[in-house]
Amino acid sequence: MNAIIKTQKLTKQYGDTVAVNNLDLEVLEGEIFGLLGPNGAGKTTTIRMLTGQTKPTSGTATIANHDIIQQPTKAKQQIGVVPDVSNIYEEMSAWDNLIFAAHLYGVPKIDREKRAKEFLELFELYERRKDRVANYSRGMKRRLTIAAALIHKPKLLFLDEPTSGLDVQSSRMIRKLMKELNDNGVTIFLTTHYIEEADQLCQRIAIINKGQIVAVDNPEKLKASMGERQAIEISFSMSRDLEAKLKDLRCVNDVSILGDKCRLRVDDASEAVLSLVDFARENNLKIISINTLKPNLEEAFVRLTGLSPEVMKTEIESVKKKEE
Amino acid sequence: MLKAVRIAEKDAKIYFFKGPNITFGLLFPAIIYLAFSVGRTAEATSIIPGLVAMSSLFGAGAIESIALPLERAKGTFERLLVAPISLATIVLGKALGGFFFGTVLSIVYLLIALMLSGGAVTNPFLFAFGVILSAFTFSALGICISAPFRDVPQAMPPATLIRVALIFLGGVFIPVATMPNYLQYTAYLLPVTYAIDMLRQATTGHIIAQTVIMDVAALLLFALVFFAIAVMLLKKTIR
Repeated sequence: MNAIIKTQKLTKQYGDTVAVNNLDLEVLEGEIFGLLGPNGAGKTTTIRMLTGQTKPTSGTATIANHDIIQQPTKAKQQIGVVPDVSNIYEEMSAWDNLIFAAHLYGVPKIDREKRAKEFLELFELYERRKDRVANYSRGMKRRLTIAAALIHKPKLLFLDEPTSGLDVQSSRMIRKLMKELNDNGVTIFLTTHYIEEADQLCQRIAIINKGQIVAVDNPEKLKASMGERQAIEISFSMSRDLEAKLKDLRCVNDVSILGDKCRLRVDDASEAVLSLVDFARENNLKIISINTLKPNLEEAFVRLTGLSPEVMKTEIESVKKKEE
Repeated sequence: MLKAVRIAEKDAKIYFFKGPNITFGLLFPAIIYLAFSVGRTAEATSIIPGLVAMSSLFGAGAIESIALPLERAKGTFERLLVAPISLATIVLGKALGGFFFGTVLSIVYLLIALMLSGGAVTNPFLFAFGVILSAFTFSALGICISAPFRDVPQAMPPATLIRVALIFLGGVFIPVATMPNYLQYTAYLLPVTYAIDMLRQATTGHIIAQTVIMDVAALLLFALVFFAIAVMLLKKTIR
């Protein structure tokens, strides 16, 4: 398969801060590729460089074999871009927004209105096509932003945090659409804070931290890279003040409290289960539920970036606030 | 070129009737003119070119002081940046929007000036050419001024200050010939001076070919320089 995005030592520096450092990346034609990382890791800067919104400090990148610096217009013709914050013209109607986008991408007159109608119907916005976008909900604005990015039928679609801050219905619709677009041959480059979303959608994932790619592989291989490390989720009849006591157990590496459950990182699950039964007996506790968990993408992310999933959750909240 | 026209069309839909545009583009020239002309006797040959040049300067410039910073504040400018169009096309589109608004406003103010003064324009073709050239030059100037700013409140004060200075130094109220020497030299470095001279000659009909050619050349040169600077300044913002 051919690489539709190819970067070599792509670097972006703002003053003394290196936002993206010597990025070597290949995204293959026809795949859903996820770029996963915490806030400030360099995800958005990478997208901004690849889509012509900011110039790389050094290095090269091509989109469908067109150099983004030497042939920006040809490279941009191949792409659709959905930024993290919807950027359609709120003073115009949905219809006018799509027609304007079609003009910018040189969509032939004969196709313009046909495609605008097609996409507005697909995104369930046709009934309100004449309304000012300012009166739309956040989910509707996001759907319209995606429609505008697709109006010229690009080969490659960049989606920066496409579902963050959206209601369940809009998020589902967008995920479903990503899969459908991909089935129709569109390559998708996705950045997301949602680890599960990346796990469900992406054929390959790159984890970026502090401007550098720390791992690139398919989700299952990334999970497998966690080796034998396992987790146990256990719920006791009483969960107060248990964290410290559980940490003292020899077989437990780490403890995190998730509601009424305790998640324990362990090296040997079977040994840990026996210890936990003894622990419950010694402390007069009843075990309500106990599950062993296989290593997941979140575990791989935590190990590779050194960040906790809670940090990602905080970032999701900050993105939501930015949208508001 | 067609894409630039579409950008201008979109700007017209969105920004022409924004509050700051109405205030600074539509009303400001009238207020300034009234403030400086009430109680004085002015001839039609002075009122017509002065009012039209001023409305063109404010009209064409005002929309640029809003459209570009507002697009950048709202993130919609990125929509243009990621599209397969050059920065020069974006700037041209923006300039055409300002040009259109400036031209329409000039026509409105021309009609007002004709009614107020009871005068007439002797050479309407030269006058129309002067209006078109002035509006484009002032629109390009407007983009230059607003290019470094990322929001309307930041862009408005310098834009207004520069335009007011241009009015007083460019001979809208005080003929350049009556100014002290050092101000006359300054006046010849300003595009308004050439716009007013061209419009004045078209109004009076006393046309000196050499000076009209010089006015046209100067306005074209200013337009080109402003256009190039605007592209350069915008290029800086995507670094």
